[in-house]
Amino acid sequence: MKPSAILRLATLVCAAAIAVGALFMWKASPEASHIRTGAAAVSDLSSMARLCTLDIYEEVPIKGYAGTKHLVAIATLKASVTFNLDGVVPEADGDTLRLTLPPERVEVYESTEPEAYRVIDTWNDALLDHSKLTAAQENAIKAKAGESFRKSIYRKGYVRRARKEAAANLTAMLSGMTGKTVVVSDPTPGGSYAD
Amino acid sequence: MLKKMTQLLAACAMIAMSGCTPKEESRDYCSEVRSVDRLVLAQMTISKMATIDDIKPGEAHGLRQTAEALIDAVKIGDRKAAYAYGTYLRASIDLSGIRPEDVRVDEKARTITLDLPAVTTEYLGRDLGIREVHYRVTGLRSQIDAGERAALKEKMNTILKNEVEERPFFREKLIAQAKTKAAAFFQSLLGEGGRYTVIVNFKN
Repeated sequence: MKPSAILRLATLVCAAAIAVGALFMWKASPEASHIRTGAAAVSDLSSMARLCTLDIYEEVPIKGYAGTKHLVAIATLKASVTFNLDGVVPEADGDTLRLTLPPERVEVYESTEPEAYRVIDTWNDALLDHSKLTAAQENAIKAKAGESFRKSIYRKGYVRRARKEAAANLTAMLSGMTGKTVVVSDPTPGGSYAD
Repeated sequence: MLKKMTQLLAACAMIAMSGCTPKEESRDYCSEVRSVDRLVLAQMTISKMATIDDIKPGEAHGLRQTAEALIDAVKIGDRKAAYAYGTYLRASIDLSGIRPEDVRVDEKARTITLDLPAVTTEYLGRDLGIREVHYRVTGLRSQIDAGERAALKEKMNTILKNEVEERPFFREKLIAQAKTKAAAFFQSLLGEGGRYTVIVNFKN
């Protein structure tokens, strides 16, 4: 082998060693993040007595705009159908207990599972405007999607099912605990949501 | 020989670099409706705040942070923002787990003893939106967009869940609140206006 070839090979090996060393140093160093988080804090703690009969999880597409700015995203939403039992006292009628099923509460949240909210695309139609969607504009689009999800829960008959199951579960719980016949009446089997 | 060595080094470099490539995960579009029979007794809102800010050269550790801090230092303008949102944790008992032998009535002592299933906790969800507490982007700095806010929320979510796991305080406080509520609720439901005293026990 010629001396010049050996020199070139040595240079190549040295360069490669430096590159690999730098790469490992880079990978071993702490992540460069512009995000700093504070400690989690309890901002509210409340007690309640709510019968929960249905949990609904759905991955929903979110498409919306504010002026010329657009957003396309996917969110995993979770809805919970509950019934407030606080203050519900069964009326005794001989050996029968009678009670009325209260109105349902349909609460919509974003799931806490990983990647529950993924932004797919954002763009601005205006040629010379490079501004981005603000947090308030994005929140408004997401709130609309949440409301649409809530309506779909009624439309798909999930609330009707939740109310039916709530009546059955309440009957089973109370008759099991008291040994009496329990009659749960439901004045609004389809739910009490006003569109 | 030289050509072979060069090829070998290139192959080694490619193998080393392949570790830097982000892996794509496939996700299925999902929808699930789950019937449950739970009595929710307490709910906790946990707030989390995070900031987006430049890395200061004096605070940087390691190669990556130092490089990023130097790049930030030459940029024109400031880029600072703070965001917060709430995560909801709920405590409940599984009513389907109550058996006839878990309810005992003592007419003589006028007591009803209930052995209820253990109180369990779960994440109910988090706020759909994110609250912008502070926003100041000046000069030639890029605005914070929806993608960056989503990434921030994802990171906050992971950290919050780790914190809740590491600090039992959150769940303990919630469970204690739920147990107190269960005693009051079943007293009002079954006590017949004070005729019976309802004693509530929890199974482990």
